[in-house]
Amino acid sequence: MSAVVVNNVAKVFNPGRANQVDALIDIELAVEPGEFVSLIGPSGCGKSTLLRLIANLIDPTTGDVLVNGRSAAQARLDQDYGMAFQQAGLFDWRTVEKNIELPLELKGWAKAKRRARAHEMLELVKLSEFARHMPWQLSGGMQQRVAIARALAAHPPLLLMDEPFGALDEMTREHMQAELLRICRATETTVVFVTHSIPEAVYLSDRVVVMSPRPGRITEIIDVDLGLTRDESTREHDGFFSAVTAVRGALRGVGSTALGGVDDR
Amino acid sequence: MIKRAARRTAMLCVALLLAGCAWELVKALFPEGGGTVLGMSIIPKTSDRAMPHTWDMVTRLGEPESTAGGQAIWRSVAGYSWYTLRLALVGLTMGTAFGIGLAVVMARFRFAERGLLPWVIMSQTVPLIALAPQVVSWSGRVDVFGWELPRWLSVCVLAAFLAFFPITVGALKGLNSAPAAAIELMDSYAASWWRTLVKLRFPAAIPFLVPALKLGATLSVVGVIVSELSTGVTGGIGRAVLSYGSAATGDPTKVYAAIFGAALLGLAMFGLIVGLEVVLMRNRPQEVES
Repeated sequence: MSAVVVNNVAKVFNPGRANQVDALIDIELAVEPGEFVSLIGPSGCGKSTLLRLIANLIDPTTGDVLVNGRSAAQARLDQDYGMAFQQAGLFDWRTVEKNIELPLELKGWAKAKRRARAHEMLELVKLSEFARHMPWQLSGGMQQRVAIARALAAHPPLLLMDEPFGALDEMTREHMQAELLRICRATETTVVFVTHSIPEAVYLSDRVVVMSPRPGRITEIIDVDLGLTRDESTREHDGFFSAVTAVRGALRGVGSTALGGVDDR
Repeated sequence: MIKRAARRTAMLCVALLLAGCAWELVKALFPEGGGTVLGMSIIPKTSDRAMPHTWDMVTRLGEPESTAGGQAIWRSVAGYSWYTLRLALVGLTMGTAFGIGLAVVMARFRFAERGLLPWVIMSQTVPLIALAPQVVSWSGRVDVFGWELPRWLSVCVLAAFLAFFPITVGALKGLNSAPAAAIELMDSYAASWWRTLVKLRFPAAIPFLVPALKLGATLSVVGVIVSELSTGVTGGIGRAVLSYGSAATGDPTKVYAAIFGAALLGLAMFGLIVGLEVVLMRNRPQEVES
């Protein structure tokens, strides 16, 4: 059973009005359990919209979305996925550990069990000694690690990420990418990851989904064959460069007018 | 924190001292009978009756309330202030509860915001003095299961009427200040609107609510004092200002005892809210001192 199935989905914003936008059409996508899939494309190609459809934060105009064999709506109610955004979005008034406990609180877990899990997650993201700190006392990269810990706290089988490292500097970013892969391998989490960075998509993913705008659709899906374990040397690997070239080529095919939002970092 | 409080207290004392000096300076420089500039009498009379010496005001505090004797006037004033403070606190509590409740309803339903906000704003254009006799007259008429609205409570209602406005506006702004990403996060947890309110919107509203409470606290004191005057409720500092003031011809320093009491009352109320701020904002990002 696929972790995510997107079945002939289209999304139209403001249908029938002057500002009607065909955000997505003819989207077909299946993500297998344990797989890491990136969505890449120029801005306005609907990659964030697709992620929000999978998260059931918005409803598709036509077609349907299944998460772990159930409807996306049911998956959201069951907290079957965790989510992380470009901004860490931690709550200022909660300590780091209490931020991680938030989804567990909403699930109605007992306090002791919550606390234990929060500390387990902090160990995973290597921030144990910051449990009692306030979020604003942490650096941007550390905050984003807390956000990932929060997203994974309930051990959801699926992690949805919307440019989570977009606001970080290059060095922190590469470090966070390696950390994310390590954590996801350790927890066997399926990931759908939105990015506009080609090397980031290639380094992280088993498959890169290339999208094009107006209307948003999938133009190509590129397999990245770099194996399960990836480290810094992966970035120097021939397979890495050829995959980057392949993705870049696919994005060129999208049309030179639409390339504004993709960078080569 | 404590260092800052000490510095502020010292500043306040210096400010008071300077105000006293300015008062005495005016008294020393200008003629007793006042004066006119270009035919307009704008220089104040500085006779002891119009502008008593500051030290006379202070010594008056230790003297009895009336020539007939009795306790020192500062004790009476303290009693009146305490009474008014309690009414203001009840009024502020009522106004806060009402204001936050209203803000929650408006944050929940857009049509409620559109429908209610004009009324909230309009309510503040009604002069309190016009409203006071109406509300006080309820105390004889309201009868719920044998419970009558006491007169002192109608004064609290008037104070609440004044205090709820900034609290409603502040709370509404605060409740809507939660970032879209945080709302989306709560949605992704399938959290109900109510739980989103408790876990996200309320805490996000606190930094907006604290300054609103400061305004509300000041307004509730003003509300009680004005209502005392216009409703004839006795026992508070508002009444004392009025009755002491009427003795100004024979006992010009007496009214200042009541004014000091009213000022101290305002300070106490403000101090209370600052204390609340310290508790509520203890874990928040440290802002630049304003």
